[in-house]
Amino acid sequence: MNTSVERFILAAIPGGIIWGWLSMVVNSVSGAFAFEGSFVHDLTTFATGGAIFGVLVAGFLSLMGDKLPFKSRLLRAVFVSTSLWILLRIGGALLSHMDNERYHIVTSQTIQGFFMAIILGCILYPLWKKESVDQAM
Amino acid sequence: METIVISEKKAFLKAFLPALIVVALAFAMVVIAYGIEPVAPGVHDVFHDFRHVIGMPCH
Repeated sequence: MNTSVERFILAAIPGGIIWGWLSMVVNSVSGAFAFEGSFVHDLTTFATGGAIFGVLVAGFLSLMGDKLPFKSRLLRAVFVSTSLWILLRIGGALLSHMDNERYHIVTSQTIQGFFMAIILGCILYPLWKKESVDQAM
Repeated sequence: METIVISEKKAFLKAFLPALIVVALAFAMVVIAYGIEPVAPGVHDVFHDFRHVIGMPCH
């Protein structure tokens, strides 16, 4: 029998995949970055990357989501996903400071990434809400 | 007996979940977010487009 936490983290995989593919759509519309890989390659890598980030955010939500000082669960989910993104972005900024050529910052992509982090939180929120209800029962 | 098995599983999860998350985060940073070639050769190209789209700095 799976615990609700396990089910949530497993459910975050397809949620993350959808988020990854949604990122492709959003980027195609915004034009922030011109895709360099083939469509099939990007479909695979975006799904993989999205799944991993989905699992990461779900893990953090399971660990600390209930301890956050927000009444709204949606706000907590978005806070965790954007905080993780900001953490990674700060790391990227430090790397860029050390090697500007290798780690080049583009403002439009940064803004897009931040909004995609918010969307990831919104995607995982209903899954987390269901896990919390299952745990309470 | 079933109650004990479920409790042991929950205890295992509670103990190892933070460690698993840290490992997953380190993996995500090296392979996906930053594409650190010296650590994992080839990862820069694999997740190159994804890295740009989510706003991480790259070439």
